[in-house]
Amino acid sequence: MRLPSTESLPIRLAPEIWALYLCDNSANDKGGGKLMAQWNSRSHKFLPIIQRYGFAVVSIILALLPGLLLQHYKFHDVELPLLLFAIALTAWHAGVGPAVLSVALSSLCFDYFFAPPLFNFSITPADIPTILVLICFAVLIIRFSAIRHRIESQLLQARDNLQAEVVERTQQASLLNLTHDTIFVRDMSDVITYWNRGAEELYGWAPYEAIGKRSRDLLRTVFTTPSDDISAELLETGRWEGELRHGKADGTEVVVASRWSLRRNENNQPVAILETNNDITDRKRREEEIRSLNSELEKRSTDLEASNRELEAFAYSVSHDLRAPLRHMVGYAELLQKNSSATLDDKGSRYMRMILEAAKRMGNLIDDLLAFSRIGRVETQKTQVNLEHLVKEALSEVRQETNGRNIVWRIDTLPVCYGDRSMLKLVLVNLLSNAVKFTRPQPKAEIEVGCVDGNKDEVVVFVRDNGAGFDMKYVDKLFGVFQRLHHVDAFEGTGIGLATVQRIIHRHGGKVRAEGAVDQGATFYFSVPKI
Amino acid sequence: MERLGRILMVEDDSKDVELTLTALEDYNLANEVVVTRDGEEALDYLYCRGKFSTRSCDNPAVILLDLKLPKVDGLEVLKQVKSDENLKFIPVVVLTSSKEEKDLVTSYQLGVNAYVVKPVDFHQFVNAIKELGAFWAVINVPPPGSVNK
Repeated sequence: MRLPSTESLPIRLAPEIWALYLCDNSANDKGGGKLMAQWNSRSHKFLPIIQRYGFAVVSIILALLPGLLLQHYKFHDVELPLLLFAIALTAWHAGVGPAVLSVALSSLCFDYFFAPPLFNFSITPADIPTILVLICFAVLIIRFSAIRHRIESQLLQARDNLQAEVVERTQQASLLNLTHDTIFVRDMSDVITYWNRGAEELYGWAPYEAIGKRSRDLLRTVFTTPSDDISAELLETGRWEGELRHGKADGTEVVVASRWSLRRNENNQPVAILETNNDITDRKRREEEIRSLNSELEKRSTDLEASNRELEAFAYSVSHDLRAPLRHMVGYAELLQKNSSATLDDKGSRYMRMILEAAKRMGNLIDDLLAFSRIGRVETQKTQVNLEHLVKEALSEVRQETNGRNIVWRIDTLPVCYGDRSMLKLVLVNLLSNAVKFTRPQPKAEIEVGCVDGNKDEVVVFVRDNGAGFDMKYVDKLFGVFQRLHHVDAFEGTGIGLATVQRIIHRHGGKVRAEGAVDQGATFYFSVPKI
Repeated sequence: MERLGRILMVEDDSKDVELTLTALEDYNLANEVVVTRDGEEALDYLYCRGKFSTRSCDNPAVILLDLKLPKVDGLEVLKQVKSDENLKFIPVVVLTSSKEEKDLVTSYQLGVNAYVVKPVDFHQFVNAIKELGAFWAVINVPPPGSVNK
């Protein structure tokens, strides 16, 4: 899962990312770099002062020599352009001072070598226009030179700035490759123009494989919203975000949370789309799993409710419909016994008794079964329960079964626990009446109710007797419904009592267990929460 | 017995009717028992309509009402009786096989006077019926307008 703050980052930083992307591209532009280098090599540097003036002298001399040579061969009026060229060269390259010097030298040379009277420094009014031409020319050239220098220095400044910016942005651009997010750029005809390392890692195509391809063809994009709507939103707001499905180089599919931002040129025409994608395949899969688990759970819970209702209807039907014919059986059998006792022989009377006993037993079974099923259906109402009081109440209920018996009761001090009073009472009644029942063969029965030192969270109560006991190898069967370890003839019962005990204790989050040996008595333990 | 109230028994099961009447006979209570076999018939009797339109319109001293009945069930009969100005004083004893707490609670909410679960054991059943009959038809003084023998 990504943090929300980082998720919103690409959108917030979109303009910066655009800047990064652009300079990343310009950094790759080798042509631009060469241009810079050329500028650098042509950079103007002022020559040292002596050289500059020397340049003026030498250039004038170099102009003078061919002038004199040509004059010697009777080519006239060539000297002035040559001198002007020398002055221009000096003014252009050596600056104002040397230009003044070259104008002065040119004037002198012209006056001395070419203006009549020759080889004489006397200045005639006829020479003045020539000298003025030289001066004006020099001024003009100096002016151009100055303009050139200014422009050149501005260009240099701009170039330095640009270079610094390029360096800085090239560093930043490499950050785009550092991010785990998948970032690529495509132009308005969907052709990929930039492809970062995140994109390479997610989709499996290297930049040289991806750049130049149409993104929809390469990525086999499946839109969850109509692409026309996306385009409309993108053009209107400059952004779009949503889910897309893309194919990877290895043929598998990936679900991405995609964010698009639109780049416009200075004329506000859309030129490119920057797409930032996050792989949410795992998240989608987990969401899908959770959804399916939820619906499964819902279905199960509906099924459970339905089967609970069925169970309730069944219990109702059992309690009502099954008991009625039983009651009739018993009723008519009793009437028969009562009205026809004179005509029934011993055998007949016995059969009648057996019918009645069987019916009674069935009635008990139904009642116990219903009580057992009710434990699962009713809500527990938990309160603080004083176990000692509860044992006394339970004891008074089973007391009628103990008539004429020699039973030694030992009830220890018992703590308070937390549970459903009536259910816990049923537990104690069941355990005590079991103890009473299974000690019946003993001439002197001993029944003890006590408390084991449990942990601080639960109370462990035991009921111990010296009765018939049981074989420990059948201990697993003890708490099962309808499981009995003794014949009905020996000890009556329905085999539901201990199952009820276990069910109640389990509903309290406690445990039951039993220890015993044949004819050595049995001890039943149950634990209930203290608080 | 100086005074014996009329008992209206609402019971669809003929065997239950027979056994109940047998039990009541022991106390000579059976003569004034009117048996109706479903909720609708019971209401017809109470409102003196249908086949009971000719009877003198006195209320019974007690209604022994089973809950599971054809057509109109026992709880519905109980509801109508207890919401009717003329009938609401008639003591109603629900006599049913159902030990369901839901039935018990609903019955008392509707204002039942007693709720008896029919014991499977015939002796207990007979005793229960006898005591019921004796109490409601003999010992209890019924509200005015009830039929006395």
